[in-house]
Amino acid sequence: MERRVAFESSFAIAEAVKMADIDVCAAYPITPQTHIVERVAQLVANGELDANYIPVESEHSALSACLGSSAAGGRTFTATAGQGLELMHEVVYVASGMRLPIVMSVCNRALSVPLSIWGDHSDVMSVRDTGWIQIFAENAQQAFDLTLCAFHIAEDPAVLLPTMIHIDGFHLSHVIEPVLLPEQEKVTRFLPKYHHPFALDVNNPAAMGDFALPDLYTEAKVAHDMALRNSIKVILQVWQKFGEEFGREYSPVETYGAEDADILLLTMGSFSEVAMEAIDRLKRAGEKVGLVRLRLWRPFPFEQFRQTVGRAKLLIVLDRALSVGGPGPVCSEVQAALYHLKERPQVIGFIGGLGGRDISVEGFQNMIHRGMDKASQGKPGEIEVFDVREK
Amino acid sequence: METLSIYAPRLVTKRQSLTPGHRACSGCGEALALKFVMKALGRDVIVVMSTGCMEIISSQLPYTAWEVPWIHTLFENAATVATGVESARKALARKGASLPKAKVVAIGGDGATFDIGLGALSGAFERGHDFLYVCLDNEAYMNTGIQRSSATPYGASTTTQPAGKASFGQSTWKKNMPAIAVAHDIAYVATASASYPFDLMNKVKKAIAVEGPSYLHIFAVCPTGWRIPTDMTIRVGRLAVETGVFPLYEVENGKYSLNYDPPQLRPVIDYLKPQGRFRHLTPEMVDKIQQRVNKEYARIKEKAAQ
Amino acid sequence: MNDITEIRWHGRGGQGAVTSAELLALTAIKEGNIAQAFPSFGPERRGAPVIAFNRISAGKPIRSRAAIAEPDIVVVLDPGLLGIIDVTRGLRDGGVLIVNSSKGLATVNSEIGGPWKLAVVDATAIARDILKRPIVNTAMLGALIKATGVVNLESLTQPLEERFGKLSEINVQACSKAYKEAVVMEYSPGVKKAEKVYPIEKSLSWKELNLGFVVTEMGNARSYRTGYWKSERPVRDNAKCIKCGMCALFCPEDCIHQDAEGYFEADEFYCKGCGICARECWTGAITMVEA
Repeated sequence: MERRVAFESSFAIAEAVKMADIDVCAAYPITPQTHIVERVAQLVANGELDANYIPVESEHSALSACLGSSAAGGRTFTATAGQGLELMHEVVYVASGMRLPIVMSVCNRALSVPLSIWGDHSDVMSVRDTGWIQIFAENAQQAFDLTLCAFHIAEDPAVLLPTMIHIDGFHLSHVIEPVLLPEQEKVTRFLPKYHHPFALDVNNPAAMGDFALPDLYTEAKVAHDMALRNSIKVILQVWQKFGEEFGREYSPVETYGAEDADILLLTMGSFSEVAMEAIDRLKRAGEKVGLVRLRLWRPFPFEQFRQTVGRAKLLIVLDRALSVGGPGPVCSEVQAALYHLKERPQVIGFIGGLGGRDISVEGFQNMIHRGMDKASQGKPGEIEVFDVREK
Repeated sequence: METLSIYAPRLVTKRQSLTPGHRACSGCGEALALKFVMKALGRDVIVVMSTGCMEIISSQLPYTAWEVPWIHTLFENAATVATGVESARKALARKGASLPKAKVVAIGGDGATFDIGLGALSGAFERGHDFLYVCLDNEAYMNTGIQRSSATPYGASTTTQPAGKASFGQSTWKKNMPAIAVAHDIAYVATASASYPFDLMNKVKKAIAVEGPSYLHIFAVCPTGWRIPTDMTIRVGRLAVETGVFPLYEVENGKYSLNYDPPQLRPVIDYLKPQGRFRHLTPEMVDKIQQRVNKEYARIKEKAAQ
Repeated sequence: MNDITEIRWHGRGGQGAVTSAELLALTAIKEGNIAQAFPSFGPERRGAPVIAFNRISAGKPIRSRAAIAEPDIVVVLDPGLLGIIDVTRGLRDGGVLIVNSSKGLATVNSEIGGPWKLAVVDATAIARDILKRPIVNTAMLGALIKATGVVNLESLTQPLEERFGKLSEINVQACSKAYKEAVVMEYSPGVKKAEKVYPIEKSLSWKELNLGFVVTEMGNARSYRTGYWKSERPVRDNAKCIKCGMCALFCPEDCIHQDAEGYFEADEFYCKGCGICARECWTGAITMVEA
């Protein structure tokens, strides 16, 4: 029987990890991620999850141990956030290039300095180019569902790429919500066994991790790029299968009230639900606004994205990361994705929600109005940081 | 010590896990040490290797000089990757997978071991994983061009601490890496040298028989970095042992034993003189090194006598 | 010659090809020219074939940083490279080829002649005689200057002093001796380059790479002929050999194996000529001779 429980999102993820019956979790504590791995460790300690928990001495080692585990054929999980993701940065590239389907929860967190343990997407953007699949969850239920799906996607023989499930630090990681937990049997049926074709094996030896001269490096990178781009097919299949089995549907680009909207707001992660409330209010006031939620950040869902927003007049993009001295990372990517369309919406970017700064329902209403004003005045500007004190 | 019949070399297995066609420098003592390690390990082994000379010379895409499962990821994390391999295999076996027996062996150079990967190695030792870590110590970052590491001996000239009018080269004493391994209270620690292959291979076998972490520290002469003729590799390695610069010893469950203790050590000048990296040393500095070697050697002997 | 003279150096790691290119650039710049020198950036080890490049111009800015595919001048520091690398690949008609060889002009011309000027010098003999070791880079600079006049011999003295310090005097001597001894055969148009097939490694497409760039053909490095690297090879005196196998034990290539008669024989395909087998032989049965 499906159970309805009250779970912190972190615990919901740990529950998915348990139901996926992982073999190894190697992790290092960092706020706001710790609740996930503490819970995993507890499940192992309770005998509810038969896995080896490796309490490593750094995040660099957390993901390094995961490399070894995944290469040895073990279903492998880890979690981190912010500075932790930065410390494992060079390992992040290796996991994807070597096609090791590790699943990692990232509790999106701001980056020092100043030190901030609170949420934003700075860490997410820093690993944008590392060749992982990156998926955003918006609530505890999604955190559970998408983590479960992540193992399926990552380990698919046509994919074999590591996958990050992004949950916003504190705003999502530390919030208790109702979660529907499926039966273990159903999950076991849903999730195939992990098999890596080149797992380290003395009977079928292989060499993993050769270096490439300039003569082959480009080809290697293209092979990786094509694998990530093509993974979208499997992502769609797995989410469809999940929908059929469990009744909740996911898509690379999701909308809310966008069908008849001329003006769209684009968000990623837990702030999307806050923005939904703002959209409802504005719609009630007769404004033709809607919401676009980018669930799949890598591979960037070009096709679905263009189909969803191509006909709008105005697209307002919220970035929860500031590319110092540059444009908002999501905004610039969105602009690039639309550039070749004959008819495309005007794009106006805001940066907000940095280092745990809230954006309220009213805040989103103001942001949308501010964007509309800028558009009507024909002054889109390069960048505007929302809710910043000038004096 | 190496007193087996002169025909003993014929008993060494011809089987190659590390094949010819590897691109090590002519006369490479590290490749030779690795050859002995692999011959002693046999085929039931998974090798995890750090970035470094031995990785580069054996792994140019789409080639490999390896015939056993081999994984290289980064410079500083071989010990940790090994713990991941070991943990996953244990978990899979516990859950019913039928895995062929294999020992996990991590191999790194002195830079990977003494410097950039020390934290990772310490963590792996402390957690007690069942694996062997082999340090192939050629006393500098040779892969990148003879830069100093904390394994570089006092007085040696390297490209980042060169000898000059205002410098005599390395100004610090070599870090005592085996002692650091011993401090982790692991069951087996030993030093070895490619100039003493039977001792080396015996130690590899002892190390992999241990349940839990073990550490093997192998002296690997580098003709390119030490500025010696390529045919002098074995000789110089022997001189390091005969002068007491690199004593061969084991530490089994904390108990030291000296494997080779000649009645009279040769003076260190015999070891220093053939090497270009020490060419600039004054007699006073040689004397200082001699004093240090005497002291360190006496310390090992004392521990072995306990 | 074009506005920019392009030179390609072929040598082995440790022989000084890169140093030669550097010294030539320093000299050319000192003379008021524009010049560049760079190696082929790679993981080549001591003994492995390496390439270095120069571009020199009297005034035209040098902007290309690409490897030189169609050189005006090719310098070969190691005679052993002639059979294994297509050193004259892309060498322009009317260009210059300078080769270190003890075989003399006529023989070298028969092996590697073509539509270019050929200069031959026994730089190894000069280096052994004057420098007491087979580092031929400065001697080859002398031969290059004689054959091309790309810089003046005198201009080289100062860069040599700066580079070699106390050893500069003998390097100047080696350079001058090679300048005197190099023999030159002028360019005769219409001569064809000898047809010869050189081993070429096939480059893979991205679709041919294994998932994660894994290599499954274990030990396929065996196809790589490190034997090309050697400048000396071991020769065994069977009268002294006691078939103990000490040579095989200490071979870093693991390429010495027992033959049908029980003798331990180095596999020329892999032997890099380090000389450890000769040094470690108990009975002195092995000597190293020029490869």
